[in-house]
Parts: sequence; C-alpha cells; structure tokens
Amino acid sequence: MSAEALSALGLSIRVAVAATLLNALIGIPLAYLLARRAFRGRALVDLVVTLPLVLPPTVTGYYLIVLLGRRGWLGAPVYALSGWSVAFTWYAAVIAATVMALPLLVRTARAAIESVDRELEKAAFTLGRSEWRTVLEVTLPLARNGIIAGLVLAFARALGEFGATLMLAGNIPGKTTTVPLAIYTAVQTGEMGEAVALVLALTALSCLVLILAGRLGARAA
Amino acid sequence: MSHRFSVEITKRLPGFTLDVSWTAGDGVAVLFGPSGAGKTLTLQCLAGLIRPDAGRVVVDDRVLFDAAAGVNLPPQQRRVGYVFQSYALFPHLTVAGNVGFGLRDRPRHARERRVVEVLERLDLAGLAHRRPSELSGGQRQRVALGRALAIDPALLLLDEPLSALDAPLRRALRDELRSILSGWGTAAVLVTHDFTEAYRLADRIIVYENGRVIQSAPRAELLWQPASEAVARVMGLRNVLHGVVVKATPDRIQIAWRGHTLEAVNSPTRSYLPAPESPIAFFIRPEYVRLIRKDRSAPDAAHHMNLMRGTVVGEADFGTVWSLRLRLDTPGAPSQGDFDLEVEVPHLVYEILEIERDRHWEFSIHRGSIHVLPT
Repeated sequence: MSAEALSALGLSIRVAVAATLLNALIGIPLAYLLARRAFRGRALVDLVVTLPLVLPPTVTGYYLIVLLGRRGWLGAPVYALSGWSVAFTWYAAVIAATVMALPLLVRTARAAIESVDRELEKAAFTLGRSEWRTVLEVTLPLARNGIIAGLVLAFARALGEFGATLMLAGNIPGKTTTVPLAIYTAVQTGEMGEAVALVLALTALSCLVLILAGRLGARAA
Repeated sequence: MSHRFSVEITKRLPGFTLDVSWTAGDGVAVLFGPSGAGKTLTLQCLAGLIRPDAGRVVVDDRVLFDAAAGVNLPPQQRRVGYVFQSYALFPHLTVAGNVGFGLRDRPRHARERRVVEVLERLDLAGLAHRRPSELSGGQRQRVALGRALAIDPALLLLDEPLSALDAPLRRALRDELRSILSGWGTAAVLVTHDFTEAYRLADRIIVYENGRVIQSAPRAELLWQPASEAVARVMGLRNVLHGVVVKATPDRIQIAWRGHTLEAVNSPTRSYLPAPESPIAFFIRPEYVRLIRKDRSAPDAAHHMNLMRGTVVGEADFGTVWSLRLRLDTPGAPSQGDFDLEVEVPHLVYEILEIERDRHWEFSIHRGSIHVLPT
C-alpha cells in the first residue's frame, strides 16, 4: 500500500473516531431530550437533525459551506477575527462526518430511550434520585444496547462519508483525503491496485467494527 | 407512632376531573373503585409525580403540597414509597441493588446493613444477588415492597400490587401482603378494583367513582352500610332494588315492593327517615334469602318475616354454590329484567331440597338482611 493510501486510511480512522465521539457528546443528550422532554421547537430540532439522512450529501455539504465556509454565516466572522477557516481542513471532514452520522445515532438512541419503561424513572425519583442521576443510573444503562448500535452505525457512516466531506473539506491529499475520496481518485486515475487495496482495507475495518459491536451488545444483554 | 394524613386534590385532565378529599390514619387505606375512577392518579399526585391543579396534601404534619401556599415538594423530597403495578424493578440491578437504590445518601456500611435487614425481614436473604428476571412473581412483589420500605417512607403507596399475578398466587400473596403491611406498621394507601382484595387488606376503604369519593368508611361499616346506591353498585352488590316507603321510624322502615310490604331494620347508627311515598333503594344479599322447607310444618308469619313466593326461572352453578334467579308470583313486571331476586344456596342445600326438580318455593328474608340505601 502506498504512503498516500496509508495516510488516507489513518485520516479516515481519525475522522471517524472524532466524529463518533462528537456524536456521542451531542447525539445522546439530544436523543434523551427528544425522547423525554416536551420543549418549544422540538419538532424543528428533530427535522434539522434528521434532514441529512434524506438529503443528498452534496446538498448537506452545500449548507455546511453556507454556514461554515470562509464567507459563511459563522465562517465569515471567524475568518475576519482570526484569518482561519475550518473549510478544507481535516476538522471540516470531522464536522461533515458528524453531521451526516448524527441522525443515525439520534434516531437509534432515541428509540432505545423511549423503550425504557418510564415507571422505572419515576421509581428512581421516588427513591430520591434527581433527573440527572436517573438518566445516568437507570435510563442510559437500560438503553445501552440501542445506544451502542447507534454509535456503531454512526462510526460506519463517518468512515464512509464522501459527498459532504468533499464539499466542505475538499480532496487535498495527505490533508483531507479520506479513504472513500482516495478510492474515487484512484479509480479516476486508473490506479486499480491502489483502489482495490483501499476497498479491501475499508471492508475489513467495517467487518471488524460490526464484530466488536456484536460482542459488546451480547455482553450487555 | 401514630400517623395522620389528609388529601385534598383537584386535577383537570382532558375529559376527566379528579376532585377528591379524604383523610386516613394508621394502617391501610384502600382506594377502591372501577378502572378510570382516578385512583392511580391520586397516588401519583401523592408521590409528586403529577402536580394537582389545586388542593393540599399533608402527611404527619408535613405539607407535601399546598397549591395556595405554593408548596410542591418534588418526589425526591417526599419520602413516599411507591410500589408500582408492574413493580418497576430495575432490571439491570440485583435484588440488593434494587433494595439499596434509595439509600444512596447513607454511608456504605449503614446502607449495606439496612439492605441486609430489609432482605431478611422480607425473606429474600438468599436472593440478594439475583436479577429481577430470575425471580418469581411473589418474590418480585417482595423486592418492590422492600425497595420502597427501605427508605423508611412516611407513607407507602401501592398501585394494584396483586394484579400482575395469577389467581391462586394472588390469594396467597394477598394474605402475605397484609401481614407485611401490618408488621411494618407504615401507613399505606393501596389501590384496587377488587372488593374482596380491598376488604382483606383495608382498615379504611375510600370508594372512588368517576373522579370523586362517594364513601369513606372503616371496612366493616362499608360492607354493611353502603352510603348510597352508587356505592352499592361500585361494590358489585347484587339485588339492588327499588321500592316505595310506606312508613319509616328510627328502628324500622316499611317498603312497598312488587306487591309486598317488606319490613327492614333502619340503620342503627344513622337513622334514615324518608317521607312516606318517597322512592327508596335497598339491597338484599343473595346468601341471606331463606328457602322454606316443605317437609316441615307450614310457615308461620311470626317466625318468618317478609314471606314471599316465587319460581326459579334461571340458575347458574358456581362450583360450591348455586345462584338461583327467582321470579315472584305477584303480578307485574319483575324488578331485574326477567327475575326479581338472586338467591345463593350451597350445593348441599341445593341437593337436599332437590331444587333441580322442584322449582316453586316459599322464602323469607329477615328484616336485618334488607339494607336500606339512603339517597
């Protein structure tokens, strides 16, 4: 495998791990709020989180550029202040992968949390537990399998992210070229050996993740 | 220690309003009534899981809720134990973990000692490391009780604690629950829609119907003196009948019914004196109607009160007793569809009297067995 392919593989793993961590950080609380709380704008939050699941990835990527690009709503002030833009960095790949993977985690985790009997939470309240402690000691442990499944899906989605990443992060070898982008480039330039090596590597990695997740799930049950 | 608590709750929900007020003290107060009468909603208001629109809840001089004063303690601070209908045991924790769940504030050794003590008192000591999924229905109930009792609650709430069990177990556990509750001495409120269960477990019974309390009384008083026809119906009493008052005195009431004049004892504690000619409801327990044997001397009006004649028009075998439907000989429409009285006789009596062959009977009802229902 070439140095470029190895770098793409390393970057892909880094991006997928970072995006999965971000997903856990944002997605699990979001899934809890959507499952258990009635608040203003709940339907809107649900819609915005879910949209990347149905929109073409390039459209999601376009919105991300509008938001975070050098001339974007958030990107422009940041660029004016610091001269730095997230676009075309590996952070951009992480953001794109996070946004694309989020609906998978949120939907799976939300369903898992909704399936936890509310009476168990009420029982915890009458036994002196705050809502926060109840979430940590009752709700999340019982929703654990669903949340793990959601994180696995999110990781797999992040690993395979292509369209939105290309839009926001570009395809800069050694910097933002993840494995899917590298495969695309290799096929375009006729380097079939390289393409096959990366395809097999990605396939093996995905299998490994699924097997590990299966083991985790089996132990939790 | 003597307990005293008072409950006054108004809660409006779409299509249903709960508006109740009652008090209870030591022992077990049972909220009894049909499904959807607001019993569980009351428990949830007591536990702080639902906020009433108005009212006041006081347990042993501690105000848990007072809408006017803006007091609404969260469930965490109420010290109210709740045994859920489904038990709501934490499936990911062991029996010991469940029972110790409410003791987090105590030092580790004190917590462990308390868990051991509770498990021993409830005969669960050998099961400390089991998961709820590995327990029988009766064991689960004891764990749920133990978890709620471990925190030394000021009040214990039990929502249909026996409904998750099948019939034979239910009866055994009903008696076990009774001895646990009286042994522990915690004031308790228990919800059920089964009158036998209510009567077995209660010291006081509070009858609910459609979001209101229609009677609150010690259990024996409820059994023998339902306050109204509505209470009699919720209790599932049979032979709830309608007649017209002939004459009422503090100790007797005469009632015209189906061409007879029945004599009933007036309530000894709350004499009821309706005017003559006014409609009156009363009930006759099916097991208190006496069929008169034909192989003895002819009935004597001095020995047999409220003497009547009728025909068996229907019967049903309930295993140990026969339920007979009697239609009076007097002309006019029968009072309960196609019959006038339901009469219950033990199997042995049914066989001795050869009721299967002989359908026409003379029977009497003692005046003390005709219970007047005030309106």
